[in-house]
Amino acid sequence: MKWLSLFILGLVMALLIYAETDLPDRGDPEAPANQHVSPLYLERTVEDTHTPNAVTSVLADYRGYDTLGETVVIFTAGIACVLILMRRRSDDNQIRKPNS
Amino acid sequence: MILEAFTDRYVYFMTVALLIIGLYGMLGKRNLLKKLIGMIVFQTAVFLFFIEGATKFFIENGTKLRGSVPVIDPQLGTDPALYVNPLPHVLILTAIVVSVATTGVALALLLTIHRGYQSLDEKVILERMRQ
Repeated sequence: MKWLSLFILGLVMALLIYAETDLPDRGDPEAPANQHVSPLYLERTVEDTHTPNAVTSVLADYRGYDTLGETVVIFTAGIACVLILMRRRSDDNQIRKPNS
Repeated sequence: MILEAFTDRYVYFMTVALLIIGLYGMLGKRNLLKKLIGMIVFQTAVFLFFIEGATKFFIENGTKLRGSVPVIDPQLGTDPALYVNPLPHVLILTAIVVSVATTGVALALLLTIHRGYQSLDEKVILERMRQ
């Protein structure tokens, strides 16, 4: 079991290092991630949203639905925590004592 | 020459190292809390990879300069080459919040498991489940 997990780790590491060779150099302005929409966000943020901070304008204006979904995730997690941690009366009988 | 290649790529090797550490925590450890910590390290590696991907360099008078924070400065103008990419920052802001939420639910589940079986060790829990 131990050797199997070490083998899997080595395999994943080899795969990741192989995939790394295709990535662009660090800070390359011509990289695909810096090309399509992100220059438009930086150029238009002041005239579209009157917000100089591009992160804020993308978070709350251009991609506002994403933030709405995020609040739904937080709400669901809070409800789940409350439901999991709520002690029910039937639980007290099911707690097993370690028979040592 | 080799140093140049190293400074261009070392972030990726650091990310791979963190990913492997997190995966080892999830696969190799038997304590459920340590598995959770491994998961958090894995998530943090992905965050750092994205934030690092936001960096932009530009050349001015022959020197390599780092892009500024993505807040439009009236003195700099709106040239996108001068600022780092804002999109990864936004995505990771969302992802950090989601990761906090999942960590909270996981800790609640661990607390319930510990209440039920008085242990967080995988083997002990499996043994007590069979009884």
